[in-house]
Amino acid sequence: MVWPLGGAMRAARRVEAADPPARQDGAASVPTRLPSAVYPDWDAIYTDNVGRIYRLMFSKVGNRPDAEDLTSQVFLTAYGPLRATAGVAQVRAYLSATARTVLAEHWRRTLGHQVTEIDPATDLEDFASMSPPPEDGRADERAARILRALPERQRQILVLRFLRGYSVRQAAAELGVSVANAKVLQHRALRAAAGLEKEGEAP
Amino acid sequence: MRQPVDRYVDRLLRRRRPKPFAPTEDELSVLRAAIDLSAAAPDAGEPRTAFVEALRERLAERARTDQDAAEPPRPAWRAPARRRILAAGALTAAGAAAGASVDRMLGGGNAGSAAASSQTPPQTEITPTHGTWQTVLDSADLPEGAVLQFDLGAVNGFLRRVSGRVQAVSGICTHQGCRLALDATHELLTCPCHGATFTPAGLNLTHPRPMSRPLPALPRLPVREQDGRIQIYAPSTTA
Repeated sequence: MVWPLGGAMRAARRVEAADPPARQDGAASVPTRLPSAVYPDWDAIYTDNVGRIYRLMFSKVGNRPDAEDLTSQVFLTAYGPLRATAGVAQVRAYLSATARTVLAEHWRRTLGHQVTEIDPATDLEDFASMSPPPEDGRADERAARILRALPERQRQILVLRFLRGYSVRQAAAELGVSVANAKVLQHRALRAAAGLEKEGEAP
Repeated sequence: MRQPVDRYVDRLLRRRRPKPFAPTEDELSVLRAAIDLSAAAPDAGEPRTAFVEALRERLAERARTDQDAAEPPRPAWRAPARRRILAAGALTAAGAAAGASVDRMLGGGNAGSAAASSQTPPQTEITPTHGTWQTVLDSADLPEGAVLQFDLGAVNGFLRRVSGRVQAVSGICTHQGCRLALDATHELLTCPCHGATFTPAGLNLTHPRPMSRPLPALPRLPVREQDGRIQIYAPSTTA
């Protein structure tokens, strides 16, 4: 049988449920460190990779509803062709290739431009590596680079709004400016950040 | 003052799904910056447990449906067609005999193809009866974990070294016989014809027809290491 029976999958979940702490650190049960490691069944493929795909997608769309939809699409698309008894590295290569296509299609459908894409050189290297991903991912790295390059006030408004989850009103109070000023400040900060993004792309 | 791009950013900030619009190049850069910043938020990291479990259930549901659909009783069109042939045959003098033989042919064909498709043959070994050990590579050229392609004319395939030992598999796709290639990552054997992929160990990973059974594994080739050389047992080219 290629796919595990529902009963087997339910049994596997019961085992996981009995040992919740192990589920928190990114599915430690799968032997990801061996290059020749093989997934025992589909459920293992899913458990080991759902977090990776979701984080990858979130870093490319910046919001949860889209990240969840795209993660679902990746697994539902890859489910057919992927065999459960395949090697870890190959499964991840296939999943990330699927993710790349799914993301491209998402941008084509919504904004008509490739706003972000999955870069085989950086994203997939992180993704396919046998070791756990670095503490702060590429998205954090990019955000930190943007923030470092901005003037103090612009940096502050973006940190409060994006990283601390402050409303405009709260951010205005924190910075000691009017709400209207906070909005303008945020608007300018984002455009300055956009300028940095463009510079970053230039060779 | 409030442009669609501002609304897009606003919805990102409110953790909502943004709405499509037609952005300019400059606006795209704004969106990229906003996405990078949103993705660095502390609550961006992990998927919700409810989402993970719902998707798991959706996939499990599909596995169950596929399992049920995997063994169709018999394609619906077959039985009526056979009845038509039998009915036509019965009208002639030799009809009964002719009908019976057609029926046997159809029945036999069905049984044969069903048997062939329900099993995925185990990984077999290609062992020529008239062969010689032929050197394909120096041992030193195949380090641990490496995968390399070789071609001896009569046989071609892929070598890899796992735990110090050399393994060889055939380089011919078990779908329709196209010649496999090693992909850029050196982790997949890919078929140029229909896109099937195999692991370097020969197991089928993906295949052209979604939802159908996996392709048979690539046959193994007899391989040995002697005097610092890797040799494959293959038919000699003059044979």
